[in-house]
Amino acid sequence: MKLERKEFIKGIIKENPTFVLALGLCPTLAVSTAMSNGLGMGIAATFVLLGSNIFISLIKNIVPDRIRIPCYIVVIATFVTITELFMKAYSPALNRALGIYVPLIVVNCMVLGRAEAYASKSSVKNSIMDALGMGLGFTLALLLISGIREILGLGTFFGYKIIKSYEPMFIFALPSGALLVIGLLMSLFGLLKNKKT
Amino acid sequence: MKEILKCGLILCVICVVASGLLAAVYSFTSAQIDKQNKNETGEALKQVMPRAIRFEAVKSGEEITYYRCYGKDNKVNGFIFKAKAKGYSSEIETLAGLSLQKKITAIKVISQNETPGLGTRVTDETFSQQFTGKSAGDISQVSAISGATISSRAVIKSVEEKLKELQKILK
Repeated sequence: MKLERKEFIKGIIKENPTFVLALGLCPTLAVSTAMSNGLGMGIAATFVLLGSNIFISLIKNIVPDRIRIPCYIVVIATFVTITELFMKAYSPALNRALGIYVPLIVVNCMVLGRAEAYASKSSVKNSIMDALGMGLGFTLALLLISGIREILGLGTFFGYKIIKSYEPMFIFALPSGALLVIGLLMSLFGLLKNKKT
Repeated sequence: MKEILKCGLILCVICVVASGLLAAVYSFTSAQIDKQNKNETGEALKQVMPRAIRFEAVKSGEEITYYRCYGKDNKVNGFIFKAKAKGYSSEIETLAGLSLQKKITAIKVISQNETPGLGTRVTDETFSQQFTGKSAGDISQVSAISGATISSRAVIKSVEEKLKELQKILK
């Protein structure tokens, strides 16, 4: 149990996919303009990660080494398409807001990275924990970035106006703001990580 | 040779399982997705022409050129058309409702991917309300949003041009 908990916890700070492993930065830059988008993207990516980690860990012994990448991509693409279909059916507004970045989860290096570096070598149980931890870490990171950007750049929190007279700093809503926020948070996480070990 | 066959077979099995799964999910969700798409267009049409209860698409070939709107008494009480133009970073699509006098009842930006916080303000009511009551001649009086000049001009221009183009054929 202790080991499994460690697999789960590590994704949140020590091996946070966004701030420490620097995986999946492209969608992070693009969808973190609003908190609702960040949350949606986080949940979608977590679902894909969970599905692909379980599946890949199950088939790890029957897949020969030389064709493992195409196999992983097929598995990941399947889960991404499932996610997209469900999103289209039950939350079309979110699907429109995330746009091309939903299908692009297929090539999100976080998902393939976890499949290659973790799920293909670990038991199903540990892979589930890893996926949940990484997914949660990714979601929290997106919420943190989009929260800062939305509050400073648009003056809203989850779409609700918080301060009436606040004049938003638009730079935080633009891509340059995303780079600034991510850079500063990365250095903060670096500091946290160094202190712990 | 044996190795290639084995690898191909394994990949094939994985693909078959994956496509089976996808087919199942697709058939489960397709009805719901269709419904959502229909709802969305219906809602948007209702918003620009609230007094209409039925809409009929007028097509030339495959393309829908405009919608004819019918009121409770089953008489035509307005038109709706879609205008498109390139904005700052995306194609902006706008639905506009027209009264029988060819005056705009309301507009609604239905699709855009402009800069968040700046260009996206073309969807704000303070901007779109300015169109109400305008005819082809005075749409250019609508004032653009500061900080989003290109996006708002795209909307204004596209609606104006499309209206001028359609004015003669609407009936």
